[in-house]
Amino acid sequence: MFLIKKNDVLKLAQELEKSYSVYGPVVEKESGQTFLAKVDNVTDIDLNAPIPSLPPKNILFPQIEKIIGYKYDQSSKNAEIKMLVVPEAKALFGIRSCDLAGVQCLDRFFMGQEFVDDVYLEHRKKTFIVANTCTAPFAQCFCACTDSGPSAKEGYDLNLTDLGDVYLVEAGSDKGKELCEKMGLEKSDNSHLDAKVKVVDKSLDLFEEKAVENKAWISRVMNRITTGFIKPEIWEYIGDQCFECGACSFVCPSCSCFNIEDFNKQNGTTERMREWDSCSYEGYTRMAGDHNPRKPIEDRRNKRFFCKLSYSQSQKYLRPGCVGCGRCAWVCPGDIGLPNVVTYVRREITEREINE
Amino acid sequence: MNYKPGICNFCGTGCGHLLNVDNGEINGVFASRNHPVSKGRLCVRGWHIHELVRSDDRITAPKIRKNGKLESVSYDEAISYAVEKMKGIKKPSEELGFFASPRSSNEENYLLMKLARSVFKTNNISIESESGQRNSLDVLYKGTGMAGMLGSLDEISKAEFIFVVGTDITKQNPIVGSEIHMAARNGATVVTLCSRKSQIAKLSDMHLQCNAGSKKIVLAAMAKSLIENKLYDADFVQKNTEGFEGFANSLGSLSDSSVESLTGLSLDDINSVVKKLSQAKTAMAFFSSGISGLDADTISYIYNLFVVAGKIGKEGCGVNPIAGIANLQGSYDMGAAPDLLTGFQSVKDQDAVKKFNKAWGSDVPAENGKDVYELLAAKKLKGLVVVDHDEIIVRQGDALKALDFVIYFGAFNNPFTEYADVVIPIGTYVESDGTFTNTDRRVQLSVKKVEPIDGIQPGWKVYTMVADKAGAKWNYNAPAAVMAEIASVTPTYAGISYDKFKGIGGIQWPCNDKYPQGCKRLALDDVKGKVKFVPVTANFKGPEKNDEYPFLLMTGKAQHFWHQNNLMRRTFIPMREYNATLLLYPNGYIEISPADAKNIQVRDRWPVKVVSPHGSMKVTVKITDDVKSETAYVPYFIQNMVSEFLMEHKELLEQGEDAIIPVRIEKV
Repeated sequence: MFLIKKNDVLKLAQELEKSYSVYGPVVEKESGQTFLAKVDNVTDIDLNAPIPSLPPKNILFPQIEKIIGYKYDQSSKNAEIKMLVVPEAKALFGIRSCDLAGVQCLDRFFMGQEFVDDVYLEHRKKTFIVANTCTAPFAQCFCACTDSGPSAKEGYDLNLTDLGDVYLVEAGSDKGKELCEKMGLEKSDNSHLDAKVKVVDKSLDLFEEKAVENKAWISRVMNRITTGFIKPEIWEYIGDQCFECGACSFVCPSCSCFNIEDFNKQNGTTERMREWDSCSYEGYTRMAGDHNPRKPIEDRRNKRFFCKLSYSQSQKYLRPGCVGCGRCAWVCPGDIGLPNVVTYVRREITEREINE
Repeated sequence: MNYKPGICNFCGTGCGHLLNVDNGEINGVFASRNHPVSKGRLCVRGWHIHELVRSDDRITAPKIRKNGKLESVSYDEAISYAVEKMKGIKKPSEELGFFASPRSSNEENYLLMKLARSVFKTNNISIESESGQRNSLDVLYKGTGMAGMLGSLDEISKAEFIFVVGTDITKQNPIVGSEIHMAARNGATVVTLCSRKSQIAKLSDMHLQCNAGSKKIVLAAMAKSLIENKLYDADFVQKNTEGFEGFANSLGSLSDSSVESLTGLSLDDINSVVKKLSQAKTAMAFFSSGISGLDADTISYIYNLFVVAGKIGKEGCGVNPIAGIANLQGSYDMGAAPDLLTGFQSVKDQDAVKKFNKAWGSDVPAENGKDVYELLAAKKLKGLVVVDHDEIIVRQGDALKALDFVIYFGAFNNPFTEYADVVIPIGTYVESDGTFTNTDRRVQLSVKKVEPIDGIQPGWKVYTMVADKAGAKWNYNAPAAVMAEIASVTPTYAGISYDKFKGIGGIQWPCNDKYPQGCKRLALDDVKGKVKFVPVTANFKGPEKNDEYPFLLMTGKAQHFWHQNNLMRRTFIPMREYNATLLLYPNGYIEISPADAKNIQVRDRWPVKVVSPHGSMKVTVKITDDVKSETAYVPYFIQNMVSEFLMEHKELLEQGEDAIIPVRIEKV
């Protein structure tokens, strides 16, 4: 465990810049929105900026990405194929704990099961992660309900916590430790760890006052969603409000569904693209032969929340799929961000219990 | 920072977005959270606009048809050839037409309009037949002098009562639909008047599911109830309006008993809605102004109803037509119409014409022009200039082939180029600066995001090159200079300049000395004289079905099927969603109710023959509760088949959304 002076914290990013492309929270001036952007100058990084509009998913698993290119020559009957993904080494500097939990979900989906996704692996194995403890929640946060904050417990190379004059720098990997040692950072002692516990406790205390937009007591809902013991009317009520835009999937740190499209270019070559997909689309579950197991919109919504909140899905992620960032509630044209859905389901559970 | 703020270019909502630009390539899109209209939301189309702008299906060089084949030439050669052709026209008022695009920027449309009028001496300029939008603007202009939405989209949250007429708004302009839904969640009363059970109908407090084709009668009955029960805003009417008696009288012939039989609604339901409208302090009406928009009479009834209820000219109030295409409102603002100069100034307005003559150093032709369909029908047309189109006009293929020449300007490859003698490429909307005016009069600057593909010039520059070649000297160095000229001749845009576009959200016209930062809504003290009730017909006949044709067939759009999919087919995900429906219903579909399906003895996706007095088509049935018994619904997106059948009913279709065709449905 190490310490770095508050004013020097971006020196970590400077050091990383030598071996990585550094991505950090930067506020886009005209729109006032934060993005995890590739930085030309590390001083653009604002560690106090609100959580970024898009999670780091966009860097490890881009919205649209060329995977391979191929060209078929009819006369020689030869096909030329080449890999187009050449991920650079990336440092994600100052990501929030909820977003790190999202990266872990993606890791377990793309790399932790029987089939390993080569493209994601390429991105991921060259990634250095610096997490940043939230000393206070933002209005939409509910990581306290999903066990993913306000400070990261695992999965980082370095974890920063603002202790006032200094940042506590916890190393979570050998390469994290090496970096700190190389920079000659001062070692921390137990008093700093105690101070961190206080910071985290205070941040949790602040939820009542600051994190006012969303609450999601997910544990009871997980039980119902896992057993399917929820009235169909509740799903219809939710489905009626779905505008089928796909936004919830796109902004979700743990949503990993994608589509593959072979894009035939005018010059005769083809690019195989991978792009984000969403279970809210009717075409997403349509099978050859036109059968669609989830044609009605309420069935498609039901699937999304099963993915985020069921016990069986959590076994794959080793945690709930929802990481409590609150972005789905920002972008939903209906009113069915995950926290609201949790409320609707809980309301139904309560009504049912009262009636019984 | 690789995220750059901009404006979505699909529908008329004008949502804010940020494009992810990396090495000159657009790799993604995110919603703009601080945008006053979209507030962090986008629809399925908006979330995939990067797929469209990445398309390489572009026109990559100017082309001239030589020996039947289009051959690449230089800009100079193509423009010289085009100018020579246009200059060769003897009577431009009859023989030359310009067909502008409702997707072009204001600057591009202004320059095209100026090209037509000042350089090539014709008022024959029009856009795709979005008759619903023109009808709406005409009604609102007649009544208030404001040819645009009377309210503002960012005030939807302040409306206590929201009245949605007809449109499937959550599918056509999803973010406007979302804003209405959010208002409902916060306590506003939402009432939808629609023959189909659309999503917004399901989300409404009350759905008036009237008989197909009877919306106007419901609106008249509402106005009548408001007046007879003394629930209307008598103070407002007396102080601010004229023509009340005339309107009240025109409702006299509507009897209560006929209302129930013609509309299928109970008077109690109508009265309870009227009561809510009257009790609400603020109210807004929404209707689609697109190709399936309403006819002028129905729009007039909506407008008059809201005037009599005193629900215009106040915060949270307004009569609000919703445009289906990014710059449909802006196209009319820029005078892309045979009888209009910019800002709805008439070609017959001598003062306005004098101003333009002076600004342009050239005389505007005196007589109103004709739109492209009128020109084709008159059969005297020799040359046509077209921008960025492949829609309905393609159905006029034979008439187009008969022309001496067609000049096509556009960014993407397009079936229309098959008819063109000269093809001149222009940049896409991310390749140059330009402003777009959305459905709530919001003029927004979309700045250049990427360099144009090799050697391609932006539209404003290409039109300037055409003018120069024709001998006019236009000295614009940038789109900002074009906007400066627009502001100088357009009272509603007088205060707009590129310097003012700071931050997110644009400027709502009128923008002038009185409103330097724009104006949210109609201000009553800006109305010349008083607010007028707009004359309406007292024709309360509903569409008639009979034993021979027992079904009333409605037409409309559906979410992913959008303007014949000119744009959608260049995307991946929206394209797939389109195909999903097409694969299930390869030849389109007709929606009928489960009860009717039982009677006809068909199951979902079985073929039927739809017969009208004018023609017939074979189509697959889709069985749904969304339509009432003895009504049917056809989305019009399948170009080759449904459209041809519908084209047989041209006159009926001029009634827009309320166009109802009596049909018989037979099992095949």
